Amino acid sequence: MRRLLLCLTLPLSILTSCQKETEVARANREGIFLMGNSAEPKSLDHQMVTGVPESKLVGALFEGLVGDDAVGDDVMQPGAAASWSSNEDLTEWTFKLQPEGRWSDGEPVTANDFVFSYRRMLTPDLAAPYAEMLYFIENAEEFNKEQITDFSKVGVKALDDLTLFIKLKEPVPFLPSLTRHYTWFPVPKHVVLQHGDIADRFTDWSELGHIVGNGPFKLIKWRFHDVIEVDQNPYYWDAANVGLNGIRFFPIENPYTEARAFLAGQLHTTYTLPTDLIRTVKEDYPEYLRQEPYVGTTFVRLNTTRPALDDARVRQALSLAINRPLLCEFIMEGYAPAKSLTPKMGSYEPNPVLEFNPEKARKLLAEAGYPEGAGFPRYSMLISRPSARASAEALQAMWKEHLGILVDIQNKDWGSYISAQQSLDFDMASAGWIGDYLDPTTFLNMWTEGNGNNNTGWHDAEFERILDEAAQKAEPQDRLDMLKQAEDILMKEQPLLPVSWYSRNYLLQPNVKGWHPLLLDNHPWKALSLEP
Amino acid sequence: MSQTSTISVEKGASLWADAAHRLRRNHAATAAVFVLAIIFLSCLVLPSIDGLIQDPNAQALPKKNQSPSGEHWFGTDHLGRDIFSRVLYGGRISIAVGLITTFVSVTIGICWGAIAGYLRGFVDDLMMRIVDILYAMPFLIVVILLGKSIEPMTTDLTNNTVDLFAGADSSVAEQNATRTWVEPITTLVPLFIAIGALSWLTVSRIVRSQVQNIARQDFIEAARSLGLSHFTILFKHILPNSLGPIIVYTTLTIPGIMLFEATLSFLGLGVRPPNSSWGILIEEGANRMTANPWLLFFPSLFFAATLFALNFLGDGLRDALDPKSSKD
Repeated sequence: MRRLLLCLTLPLSILTSCQKETEVARANREGIFLMGNSAEPKSLDHQMVTGVPESKLVGALFEGLVGDDAVGDDVMQPGAAASWSSNEDLTEWTFKLQPEGRWSDGEPVTANDFVFSYRRMLTPDLAAPYAEMLYFIENAEEFNKEQITDFSKVGVKALDDLTLFIKLKEPVPFLPSLTRHYTWFPVPKHVVLQHGDIADRFTDWSELGHIVGNGPFKLIKWRFHDVIEVDQNPYYWDAANVGLNGIRFFPIENPYTEARAFLAGQLHTTYTLPTDLIRTVKEDYPEYLRQEPYVGTTFVRLNTTRPALDDARVRQALSLAINRPLLCEFIMEGYAPAKSLTPKMGSYEPNPVLEFNPEKARKLLAEAGYPEGAGFPRYSMLISRPSARASAEALQAMWKEHLGILVDIQNKDWGSYISAQQSLDFDMASAGWIGDYLDPTTFLNMWTEGNGNNNTGWHDAEFERILDEAAQKAEPQDRLDMLKQAEDILMKEQPLLPVSWYSRNYLLQPNVKGWHPLLLDNHPWKALSLEP
Repeated sequence: MSQTSTISVEKGASLWADAAHRLRRNHAATAAVFVLAIIFLSCLVLPSIDGLIQDPNAQALPKKNQSPSGEHWFGTDHLGRDIFSRVLYGGRISIAVGLITTFVSVTIGICWGAIAGYLRGFVDDLMMRIVDILYAMPFLIVVILLGKSIEPMTTDLTNNTVDLFAGADSSVAEQNATRTWVEPITTLVPLFIAIGALSWLTVSRIVRSQVQNIARQDFIEAARSLGLSHFTILFKHILPNSLGPIIVYTTLTIPGIMLFEATLSFLGLGVRPPNSSWGILIEEGANRMTANPWLLFFPSLFFAATLFALNFLGDGLRDALDPKSSKD
């Protein structure tokens, strides 16, 4: 009995004697920001990635021409470029680079680095999944699709070491905002070429020990599935105004684990907060909870090359059988039922076409040749994290109840979840899309043929024609009306089933300064600081 | 007393009768048998009675996260499903996985170990080196690869089994109803095979050493001089005498495999949502334990009770089957 007592009391006494300062308290002292970052990044080569977890890391290691503002989504701050100007009709832009701009190995950042970066991104053999973000540049699409091979015809030039000239194929009023996206960030020409050719995918240049960036932080440690550590980059042009000494990114995939880690004092902020924890957190720790609007949509991506899913009636039926208000009220709490793909953005508001109508869904399914779900192939839906299982199980139950269709749920880690979709090796996938800039095209352009984020096998000539036409419109309202038409086509075809519009729920320590609600959620790392 | 007892006195108390007697006197083990019987019976019998238990996969979102009540004895989960019926149905799967997989693994292990131990020499060396090689493999990865490669066959297996029970020309609704209970089991077949095919290693080692030991004893020499075949000697005389350690090891393997099932189901092999096992229920409950502790409490209660009971039973059996313990 005494031994039993000893067994019980020993761990307890160890636990109580370990009442030392929490990790957050120590990090506060050292000026280190601890952040939950959801997943192990697929790569740190920002020309090869598409995910949000990667974007957080890239934003610390690299910097675009224009910088993010800590307070306003629409406010432009100088970044790698100190100033910029455009011609009258917004098609020719000149960026003056920071004279003090340096890579983290001390080499100067030149306009040639940017030209090289855009050339690499557009090189057909590199097959960058996000190359479309550069299609605004004159002849960029043609070069990327091998219609021309002479890069000098593409609208990017280095006028001198510090002057970058960009010619666009159409007027783009939001170009400065666009260059804040990581696809427009530079890569260090001298380092990339040292580790491989311009067209080599996944070379060593972005590995620990090789990677060199122009951002406020530099990579110092990368332990797989454990932590990625960045410290202040002394060569950064604005190093004097960087408020943190370093950031630690923890790839915690399970958001429940992440929330527990936060509440145990191990993180300054979480990547997300599972909606079923909101209520408890609101009651017990209201000072930590943050609930903010976010331009994003959750949806189910369909592989339209699969039998049955290649029929628009079937896709419509699947969509009509989703009870979105019920889902948002009880599972995705705080999210709004999606009425279309694009959430309301400024003066753009798509037609609210999505509805819950099981009657009509059954009729469409019967017309397509699957009455009561008879003979419907058995498909499985990919999810990438355990917190997605609840909504996936709810969808599964709705399709079974209203359509008689049985669907499996399959969990994959972030990397293979993305790869499976990019290689069309999936049936359905529960997915989400966060806007890259504040314009509806960030939600619509990706569904065109060959786009690296389409991954549905679906494309439509009429849809693409309208998008092209919209891009030529000078009058903003006309342009938005055209985009609305394009969205109507997309919602008639439904290669994806929008489910809900995001709101961002997460936890944040109140002593983090310089962190304000942002629609795009791109908090400039250099503006953050920690109060002890 | 009665006729039978007279006979048994004449035959002398067998090893098994002695063991049963000793086991009965071990209170912990007796209680364990009792607990196991209650849990196993309620998981196996209650869901089979029509209308008694609610549908474990029926969602009622407005009734989500309710604490235990008269209507939902163990409360409801984040999708409004009844936890009581999910625990019972999940128990069926956990128990099936534990028992069937252990049976597969112990059967392979006994045969392999007995043959190696009995034949000795070169065959023994070869067979044990194979065991060494398998030991060196990363268990989890091999199980996943093996399971994934067998998995495509389960679709056919499920369809055939559904046709068998529901009739090939039955309506979609009928087929789906049959599918509801057939599928959770057929989708687990890869799991049974994969775990069973790799977890027999320790059993084979135990059996081999037992067999080597017993084969040197005089009564085996006597059997051999009577001209009995190797098969008879091995399976009639040697193995029954080495059953003690095997039974003990078996009772301790079952809980280990139940735990392993939870890991695999989480990784996407094995139990598929919306079906559940105790492992999955506990994982889901652990995620939400601060808000809704009952989601974790009840599945853990059943799982822990089963594990404890199996361990106590294993201990009790070890004592009871020890031939060196005194006869009374």
